Amino acid sequence: MDVLLERLIAGTTDGAIYALIALSLVVVFRGTGTINFAQGEIALFTTFVAWSVVTRGMPIWVALLVATLCGFVIGVVVERVCVRPVAKRSDMAVLIVLLGLFTAFNSLDGLIWGGDTKVLPSLLPNGPDDYLAAGSARIYGDTAAVWIGTGVVLLLMIILFRFTRTGLHMRAVANNSEAAALAGVRVGRVLSFSWGLAGAIGSAAGVLITPLAPAQLSLLTMLTIFISACAAALLGGLDSLVGAVVAGLAIGLMEAFIIGYVPGLGDHLSETAVLTIIVIVLLVRPTGLFGTKKLERV
Amino acid sequence: MTTTAPAPAVEPATLPRGRRRLLVVAGSPRHTVLITASWLVVALLVVLATGLADYQLGRVTNAVIIATAIVGLNVVTGYTGLLSVGHSALLGVGAYTTGVLVVKLNLQPMITIPVAVVAGVLVGAFVGLPTIRIRGLYLAMVTLALAVAFPEILQAATGLTGGAAGLVVSVRYLFPPEWTGLTRAQRPIWMFLLSLTALAVCMLIVWWMQRSRLGRDMRAVRDHEAAAESFGVNVARTKVVAFALSGGITALAGSMLAMYVGALSPAGSFTILKAIELLSGLILGGVATQLGPLVGAAVVVYLPVLLAGVVNGQGAGVLFGLLLIVIVFVMPEGIVGRLNAGWRARVEFVPRGHPYAPTPRRERA
Repeated sequence: MDVLLERLIAGTTDGAIYALIALSLVVVFRGTGTINFAQGEIALFTTFVAWSVVTRGMPIWVALLVATLCGFVIGVVVERVCVRPVAKRSDMAVLIVLLGLFTAFNSLDGLIWGGDTKVLPSLLPNGPDDYLAAGSARIYGDTAAVWIGTGVVLLLMIILFRFTRTGLHMRAVANNSEAAALAGVRVGRVLSFSWGLAGAIGSAAGVLITPLAPAQLSLLTMLTIFISACAAALLGGLDSLVGAVVAGLAIGLMEAFIIGYVPGLGDHLSETAVLTIIVIVLLVRPTGLFGTKKLERV
Repeated sequence: MTTTAPAPAVEPATLPRGRRRLLVVAGSPRHTVLITASWLVVALLVVLATGLADYQLGRVTNAVIIATAIVGLNVVTGYTGLLSVGHSALLGVGAYTTGVLVVKLNLQPMITIPVAVVAGVLVGAFVGLPTIRIRGLYLAMVTLALAVAFPEILQAATGLTGGAAGLVVSVRYLFPPEWTGLTRAQRPIWMFLLSLTALAVCMLIVWWMQRSRLGRDMRAVRDHEAAAESFGVNVARTKVVAFALSGGITALAGSMLAMYVGALSPAGSFTILKAIELLSGLILGGVATQLGPLVGAAVVVYLPVLLAGVVNGQGAGVLFGLLLIVIVFVMPEGIVGRLNAGWRARVEFVPRGHPYAPTPRRERA
């Protein structure tokens, strides 16, 4: 029972972060039709920015805001300057631009902040005594911050997509960008906004998870998280926002339970086991759990 | 229009006006001279390379091995259009097959090469199997799974692979065999020639492949899968064969890598970052081109070294990333793709009997 609760908490926490980053990947995919390979590194960059803000004596809440804004700006600039000019040419060109940004951002972090590990404070008090007892398990401040943060972001996203004009435009572009353009939607702006939004969500996720990440804040913090988030976006179906959240949580929980309950696999092969399950799911549902099936005409 | 316009063979046409072009007819003396000259240049480069200092030759060897791996990636991603981020694992399959066989069974490295290739073909085909149902970026997920799983499996199978610590191939296995006549001190030259031979064989296979029916099937699948299928191309088989061939070639590169480096570790050359490096090299060099992998490998091996001379440490990485982006902006079809386009604008290559080709008088009557 102790293990169950403890694993459940760990799984939902990791899963929430996967869900957030998967969400940012899906937002970009729906607009541009590509996986943003630089997403994790952009988030890492803005998390370092947050760390800088904190070391200047500001509270972590301010740092979170600065990082999120910074992520939004980077997302817009990347879309407008790097991606849009090559997007018409070929998917491969976009891919290599994003791989270039991946390398550049990671090295830039190293250049500015150095390779040594840093510690980012949690959003909620996170001392040894700051916990809520849930049965026999303890929910510490950093975990609670991830849950609350994810909840807030999801709520904002639902409001954005359900009730605002911008959200409607984003859905229209995702559905059929040409028809949307004909109906008067400014597709370019919507794309820039999508990338900005993705950058902001990713940055928020980065700041939230870093206090809990095994690597803390270092150049490798985001790589494994990003891979799991990628898997979540694909498992959920690349164009499904709901799918990203469900699959993110599912992957987090699967990892946690495999580590906790399957001793042979959990020691070394937890990622492998999770990814194998995803591949098997994709074999049954080739466009993910919630992805729309595309009809093709010849 | 200009190159493919069919015209009656009896009416000799002239080259379109405008830019001056060099006319090359297949089989003509001019063609023969050009081909001989290119091969002479290649031979000269190889001879010059063997005269390099050991560490420089080692770097060339590294580039040759990376080029071989990219040739393999090109089969899947370039010709068949299936994005793979899992080729680091296929490289690793070849490397660890050679490594484990030499270390655990004391086999001669040369004997392990065919085993490594077969292992690569099998793993490649296995990864290719899901392509029957999974397409596009979702397929990239399968290769992503392979890339992430491979280092984990290596660490889990400690007894065989040495786990996180890795394997060290004793250097006494890696000296040139006696029949080559090379001394032990000439190991760098031996490794260079061996990996160059591997590269040449792989390029020959791919050259043959892309002219064969298989190559046409692959391009059809890449350009429009549904259309290809409706024209009778066996899409599933084509994809699986592409992955198997690609796996074999990349595993051969891995086998060379094991012999060249002599030490293997899961965190070393076989993580997803290596796959990204291979992918960058392929796209920079030019997808679906014969020489693209060579140029791309040269770029990904030498550019960081050159940049490290300009700025130190992490700055080189920033510049490398930015340069990747700049190259894509300037030449989205890759370096070789761009060169090929420029080359075609200046040289008109036609088969014998083509209307552009000057016909001998006696045949014209």
